[in-house]
Amino acid sequence: MREKSIPIAGRVVLVIAIICMLLWVLFPFYWAFLNSIKKPAETFEPTWVPFLQFQPTLEHWRSELAIPETRRALLNSTIISIGAATLAVVLGTLAAYALARFQFNRPQNGTLTTWFLSQRVLPPVVFVIPFFLLMRQLKLLDSVWSLVLLNATFTLPFPVIILSQMFRELPKELEEAALVDGATRFQSFFRVALPLVVPGLVATWIICMAFSWNEFLFALTLTSQSAIPMPVIIAGAEHTRGVQFWYVGVRVLLTMLPPVILALLAQRYIVRGLTLGAVKG
Amino acid sequence: MRRKTVFALVFLMIASLLIAACGGAQPQPTEKPAKPTEPQPTEEPKVEPTAVAEEGQAAKEVEAGELLPPIVAEPCAPDCPFEGQTVSVIVNTAGAKGPISGPFYEVRDEFEAATGATLEIVEVPFAEHFPKLMTDMTTETGQYDTSIAGAWWLGELVGGDFVMPYDEYYDDPSFPQWDIENVLPGPRDLLTWGGKKYMVANDQDGQVMYYRRDLLADPEHQAAFKDEYGYDLDVPQTWAQFRDVAEYFNGKDLNGDGKADSGLTLHLKVGGQGMFHFMSFSAPFVIGPENSKLYWFDPETMEPLLDSPGHVRALETLVDLTQFGPEAMMAWSLGESWDHFLRGEAALTFTWGDLGALAQQEGSQVLGKTGAAPIPGTTEYYNLQTGEWVKTEEPNMVGNTTGGSWAGVISKFSDAPEATYYLLALMATEEKSLIYAARGWDGVDPGRYSHFLEPQGTAGIDEYLAAGWDEADIRDYTSAYYENFNAEEQFPYLRIPGTFEYWTQLDIHLSEAATGQATPEEALKATVVDFEEVTNRLGREEQLQSYKESLGFE
Amino acid sequence: MAETTGPLQPTQDGTDAVPAAKGVGTRTDRTKAIFLGPAAIWVLAFTIFPLLYAGPRKMASFRYGKINQFVGLGNFARLFRDSNLHTALRVTLVFVVSTVALEMILGFALALLLNREIRGKNTLRAIMTLPLFATPVAMGYLGITMYYEQNGPINSLIRALGGDIVPWLSNPFWALVAVIIVDLWQWTPFVFLVSIAALQGLPLDLYEAAQVDGASGFDLFRYVTLPLMLPTLWLILLLRLVEAFKVFDVPISLTLGGPGRATEVYSLFTYRTALRFFNHGYAAAQGFLLLFIVMLMVSLLFGRIREIYE
Repeated sequence: MREKSIPIAGRVVLVIAIICMLLWVLFPFYWAFLNSIKKPAETFEPTWVPFLQFQPTLEHWRSELAIPETRRALLNSTIISIGAATLAVVLGTLAAYALARFQFNRPQNGTLTTWFLSQRVLPPVVFVIPFFLLMRQLKLLDSVWSLVLLNATFTLPFPVIILSQMFRELPKELEEAALVDGATRFQSFFRVALPLVVPGLVATWIICMAFSWNEFLFALTLTSQSAIPMPVIIAGAEHTRGVQFWYVGVRVLLTMLPPVILALLAQRYIVRGLTLGAVKG
Repeated sequence: MRRKTVFALVFLMIASLLIAACGGAQPQPTEKPAKPTEPQPTEEPKVEPTAVAEEGQAAKEVEAGELLPPIVAEPCAPDCPFEGQTVSVIVNTAGAKGPISGPFYEVRDEFEAATGATLEIVEVPFAEHFPKLMTDMTTETGQYDTSIAGAWWLGELVGGDFVMPYDEYYDDPSFPQWDIENVLPGPRDLLTWGGKKYMVANDQDGQVMYYRRDLLADPEHQAAFKDEYGYDLDVPQTWAQFRDVAEYFNGKDLNGDGKADSGLTLHLKVGGQGMFHFMSFSAPFVIGPENSKLYWFDPETMEPLLDSPGHVRALETLVDLTQFGPEAMMAWSLGESWDHFLRGEAALTFTWGDLGALAQQEGSQVLGKTGAAPIPGTTEYYNLQTGEWVKTEEPNMVGNTTGGSWAGVISKFSDAPEATYYLLALMATEEKSLIYAARGWDGVDPGRYSHFLEPQGTAGIDEYLAAGWDEADIRDYTSAYYENFNAEEQFPYLRIPGTFEYWTQLDIHLSEAATGQATPEEALKATVVDFEEVTNRLGREEQLQSYKESLGFE
Repeated sequence: MAETTGPLQPTQDGTDAVPAAKGVGTRTDRTKAIFLGPAAIWVLAFTIFPLLYAGPRKMASFRYGKINQFVGLGNFARLFRDSNLHTALRVTLVFVVSTVALEMILGFALALLLNREIRGKNTLRAIMTLPLFATPVAMGYLGITMYYEQNGPINSLIRALGGDIVPWLSNPFWALVAVIIVDLWQWTPFVFLVSIAALQGLPLDLYEAAQVDGASGFDLFRYVTLPLMLPTLWLILLLRLVEAFKVFDVPISLTLGGPGRATEVYSLFTYRTALRFFNHGYAAAQGFLLLFIVMLMVSLLFGRIREIYE
């Protein structure tokens, strides 16, 4: 809390706690990295520092990236996450603005908001079969577009809820002035309100993108060959011959780094995003 | 923050697109589809000798080896039969140098040069393979032209009318020629259904026992064993003897590294094909001269028989045996269990042919020490027809074709069935098949006369020696398999619709028993409940019909 | 649920936001529809419709992936006697209760501990966000290597500290612990980040007043911090509960539900029923049961949250 001075003992506890926390959080990443640059025979040696303790190799990275299926999966993941995030943000921003600025009676704003929120409450496994059947009907099985549609649906609550609050926090006067000057609703939305929420927009977009990138259940269910994204590819690192530590390392990093790094950029909005706007970070 | 964010974003997107785009652009500039029929040695990164003995990974360091199958198909240009077609094969995930999937990467250039078609390889984990395939077929998508399928799926695949027989192509001389009669009768049966040919011979599975020849022949061990157990240490012929040998060696140092090793090794991870081991293991507890067919269901009522006293005793014996192996094996996949043996850390195991062949490769600690023999038997089995235990004079040994016998089937929804058959037949040619069988890493196991040494088969020892085999090892290995496939009694393989689900349930319950979550009897009783549920859902009458047909009762 | 979005900030209900929107009649209605419509239609199309579409299949039974008989309410009846399903439910409950409880306690405690002026706070916060976005299925596979029983890093550490190796993935109890630990790794930082954000938004003057009154550190926590934080904690609880019930990626990648069914969570069980065994009807029935449970839980908790907020 806001104590004036922290006693030495307290400070020591604090430092230890922080160090433990950092080790705990960072170790898995480092372990993946280590495995990805160690020779298979060295996997179990207690060596931790490349160059000093062992000679690192880029062999696994090279051979993994040489596999056409892996590169296709990276491309697919990119398309899916960017497509879904963009779609969700476009649809969500409009809805968010409506919820922030208009009054709806039947159903009311609150109900509408809850309804959008509920998309994140529903367990996805419930939708697996319905979606599968639907996509089959639409001939969208094994297509990246089916995953774009889906992930857009499941991430839609983020922009709706987060942005509607941001719009509410904007001073109304600006838009009203524009309206008085004869601008239409759309003009005042695009010219006045929208530019003011761009940072939040970008952050929301990143959150949606990271969630779409990480999605596994539907990716596994709806793809069979040409649309396979990274999270499904990664499953191939464990197979009949046992776990291949080095490929696990490479694939884990290839899969995890894009969303993790992007999320760092949206840092300021993470708390607000993940609590769906309920707590301002 | 805003500008930085946007900039970094754009950069990231471009970077990831770039990486990905490299993939789409150029078709892999691999080496030219080779000219001569000579096996060409690929230059290969030398493994440092020190790497070999390292704990944990020795066997995975085993390099794929220099032995390549001969090129048998002539390049077709300019007049290619299947120009522009694409053949997609779905196969268990194992990578370009892994079992079953490896040979497809290897044959890709040759096949493409010979036909003008393109080969696409889709790898899926073992547990997802069948579901993916069924999804593709029930939706009539036809994404996959062929699946390198497990033999126990055939009931569904044929019953649902999802795969096509290849009899017509088989007789057509414009395809690569191979001889189905060359396959031993047991595995051959798995290739056909109702008199038609559906699977193109590739891998022939069956399980045998492996033992450390050096340990069993060691006079010190022999003397100590005799002291303790009162009979001579020899290759186990019954599971009781197997238990004694495992118990004796458990905890002793078997590879000279000063650490205690295990009596045996198994792999029991859920979803890792562990149920197969129970099948080969339990066969002699139930199958015998007076009951050579009944193991799975009652042919009158379709009631599962798996909780019979014979099955229960088998599982109890198996669970009892697990105490002589490392505890970690409950979570092991196949490869980890094999590696344990290959590092010289276990005296006994029973599994597929891969292990015998892997033992010959660089990195193995048991080259020249790997003996093989048919799966042990019992001296008493439970006759399901009479409900009585039957004692036997000689050990009651039962052969098996346990396993996937992974082989290609042609999808009915394929738009390139001929090119697909060409691919499968090409890999089934005798020349290629022999090399596949002789190598360990590719997962293709022997099962043809042309794989077995004279006089049992037609192979000469020289090919095997050239492939790096130890002579004693190969003689043991092929004769163990020959005996296994030709044993009087054979384990009844189940191929009716729903087998995938029946066996998955069995797999889970076995794991429960092995890890002490249920007693063997409870586990098998629960399996029976699950089996009944599956049968009811699929229709008891239809299931009964299929089952009777599969036993040859009608 | 809109109410929950209010209390930690000045209430700004959308309802009276824009006077200009009133009175223009149909034109405004159209504008509203154009803004809200696409998203609303989208959600309808991709949630309600598929569920309705799947409706009749709940009653059906399948052979070769095709409907072969209608079983009426049989698939629902089976929910009550399927012991495998009950195992999955039990495993899920254990998982949900233990992960959520531990994450809440650890995360909140850490936040209390670190809620002061320390150097590098932003860096710390940034690092703590890393796990939140790590691909869960990747963590599962990475977990296989980390829990590796002979010479894996975790067991090596335990051995170095003088302990016995832990049978992480081969023992039913420890396998569930292993899955739980991955979840702790991933989501404790979430509780931490949200708690610390909320802690720092608490009004200073209350503390000052309490200190003037001579309240001790514990009293401060008991009578000031905790009551003020309760709404946030309830919210975190709700969000975590909802997410924890969805767990799928880690068990399927780390343990495949094994050994036996020791880590077979509900979603994994339903996934198997639907997509391994093509028992679509029964899987749909399971889906509805899960939906029912989650909805029940959410509405119970929701009432509580509303109560606190008002």
